Amino acid sequence: MRKLELYFGPQHLGMVGNLSITLKVEGDRILEATANPGYLHRGFEKLMELRTWIQNFPIVCRVNMVEPDSMEMVYAMAVEKLANIEVPERAHYIRSIVLELARVASHLFGLWAYANMLGFDTVAQWAMYHRDLILDLFEELTGGRVYHIYLWPGGVRRDFPKGFKDKIVNTLHSIGGCVPDYDATFFNNRLFYERAKGIGKITQEEAKKLGAVGQVLRATGMKFDIRKVEPYAAYNNVDWDVPTREEGDAYSRLWVIRDEMIESVHMIFKLLDKMPDGEVYNRVPNPFKWNIPKGETYVRVESSRGELGLYMVSNGGDKPYRVHFRTPSYTHGLVILEKLLKNASIADVGNIMISLYVVAPEIDR
Amino acid sequence: MTNKNLKFLEKKLKLSFKDSLINISEDTRIIIIAQKEQVLNILKFLKGKGYDHLALISCADWIEENEFELVYIISSYGDPHTNWENIAKSKQPIGVGVNIILKTRISRENPQFITAIPVFENAEPYEREIHELFGINFEGHPRLTPLFLEREYKIPPFRKDFDTRKYVEEVFDKIPFVEEKK
Amino acid sequence: MDRKDIKKWIKEPGKMGHKYSLHAIYFCTGCGIIEVPPVITSRWDAERFGVIPVATPRQANLFLITGYVSVKTLKAVIRTYEQMPEPKWTVGFGSCPINGGMYWDSYNTIKHLDKYIPIDGWIAGCMPRPEAIFVAVTHLWTLIDKGEAKAYVKYREKYKYYRDNQEKVLGKLDWPALYKENQK
Repeated sequence: MRKLELYFGPQHLGMVGNLSITLKVEGDRILEATANPGYLHRGFEKLMELRTWIQNFPIVCRVNMVEPDSMEMVYAMAVEKLANIEVPERAHYIRSIVLELARVASHLFGLWAYANMLGFDTVAQWAMYHRDLILDLFEELTGGRVYHIYLWPGGVRRDFPKGFKDKIVNTLHSIGGCVPDYDATFFNNRLFYERAKGIGKITQEEAKKLGAVGQVLRATGMKFDIRKVEPYAAYNNVDWDVPTREEGDAYSRLWVIRDEMIESVHMIFKLLDKMPDGEVYNRVPNPFKWNIPKGETYVRVESSRGELGLYMVSNGGDKPYRVHFRTPSYTHGLVILEKLLKNASIADVGNIMISLYVVAPEIDR
Repeated sequence: MTNKNLKFLEKKLKLSFKDSLINISEDTRIIIIAQKEQVLNILKFLKGKGYDHLALISCADWIEENEFELVYIISSYGDPHTNWENIAKSKQPIGVGVNIILKTRISRENPQFITAIPVFENAEPYEREIHELFGINFEGHPRLTPLFLEREYKIPPFRKDFDTRKYVEEVFDKIPFVEEKK
Repeated sequence: MDRKDIKKWIKEPGKMGHKYSLHAIYFCTGCGIIEVPPVITSRWDAERFGVIPVATPRQANLFLITGYVSVKTLKAVIRTYEQMPEPKWTVGFGSCPINGGMYWDSYNTIKHLDKYIPIDGWIAGCMPRPEAIFVAVTHLWTLIDKGEAKAYVKYREKYKYYRDNQEKVLGKLDWPALYKENQK
């Protein structure tokens, strides 16, 4: 049979995000796949070296636009560690609630992409609608739907407005009440089982060797979650569990996403009950002339796709010296995707890529 | 709790690698400053002790000292059945919340280093990116082709002597608007 | 069919047909793609304005460039734009195509998209709200009515200048020129 080279390029109906894959095919079977990132490269880390510590805050959430709060959190944690700033107790709880709401919104976006690609249009419309309800909550709290700029070093920018707790509870009840509908239409559907079972299967040893994190690793049976390994914010104060599955294919990854969403909703209710009163912000020194002492650090956070880390070096000046983001889509999109696409068929490329939840701007930064 | 495991690891490292500087910086961070010939041996030693997750390979440009600094950040996945709430009571000598930052310096004039792919297989895209953005050559790497960039640059763009604002002025701002042309 | 405009429909049915069925091409160019799925799903329904996403450039007549454009993306954008049949309209979404936006000093992004392909209108904001897309579409309708949205004609008439600018950034282009010189 003849060998051809196909471009699964940036303008394609099955592609979410600006990434391109070059496929060498023989008939219907893929022999080799190469990922071509770089369509969204801005030289982010170089730009951050030219702006002061405070001027970096509006820009750092734009590295990944599906879940910008985890980027702000990791930058705030790194600056607090280098500058030795304490965060009050109520701010820890508010940070955890905001991060969990962002996690639910990001998983609903991933569900839209996956269900749309498979052809389940109804579930895609529901998921986008429920994500919009959460974005309305964010708009009331922070002023923006997508980019929040809310988590600062020293706490959060402002307290909850009046009546906000009830709004969160009502929104989450209305989303949680639709879980039986989601189950009946998508997760327990026989068509989803037939199309996703056994596709993109990865074993646990292979996943650990190739650097998998997040739900790609949790779907193979390993309970690796940074919120348990190195607890931060208020995650140690509530009772919760890490959901896992055993098989490691696209079917179990989607089930892990569903279980994580339900676990996050329960966690938000428990955090709202236990939240103490108090201040939410410790003032930083003069932000116009803020020099952070010399040092380096590596902090990490569990975003909705896996371990998100930041390596930061400070030279004692008023601008960062070197900043490097460790994003989960880097190994998933460049190493694991090429491994899993070998010997797959062309019809399964979108299925494998979106179930790994590769977000293109995280690879290029 | 992790301090006990960290001190155990520090002792083992100091015994095996005598000419590296090792110190514990915070609760869960060890910083190792090693000579460049010892880096692969330290990586193999750590992987054998159960630290099997290579999180990041990064690079910093210390232009005043005329050196590049390569940084390897390694942590542990733990065991599949690790109960994270009980690590205080566990007796295994792996500090599972621990991150090890391994640093080494190479010269800036002719930057060469050796690849870490035989030890950690997911080091491939990190080294490719550092080659493209800093100009460091990694011996033994199977494909050092461009990853992000489309154009050629005289100085690799992430080095400190590449002035990005001057580059924007010279290349992008000099292109005329179409209405101004007659 | 709008009963008030029935005279316009009888006089120029082609123009009214183009207006009320702007099919947008599905190309996730940059940052702004995060606000396009809410627009095309059920909460802010764009289909009541006639805007739906289509699969290939040959079926589209609206190109919504969402967010910043890097040098590699510019090649794909030009190829897509040249394959769309005429009449076609382009809208720049976000403040990055206007003048560089937040990445004004980056070595890899395009600062003024206007120099490389012709743009009919801009939507300001970072991120603009979904309602801003509807304001832009209705404003584009009034421009098409008056006959002022002629960016594709400008591309045809001044093609040499556009191609010179593209080659300054991308080097020698490996696809042939779309129009001959001085085509009207």
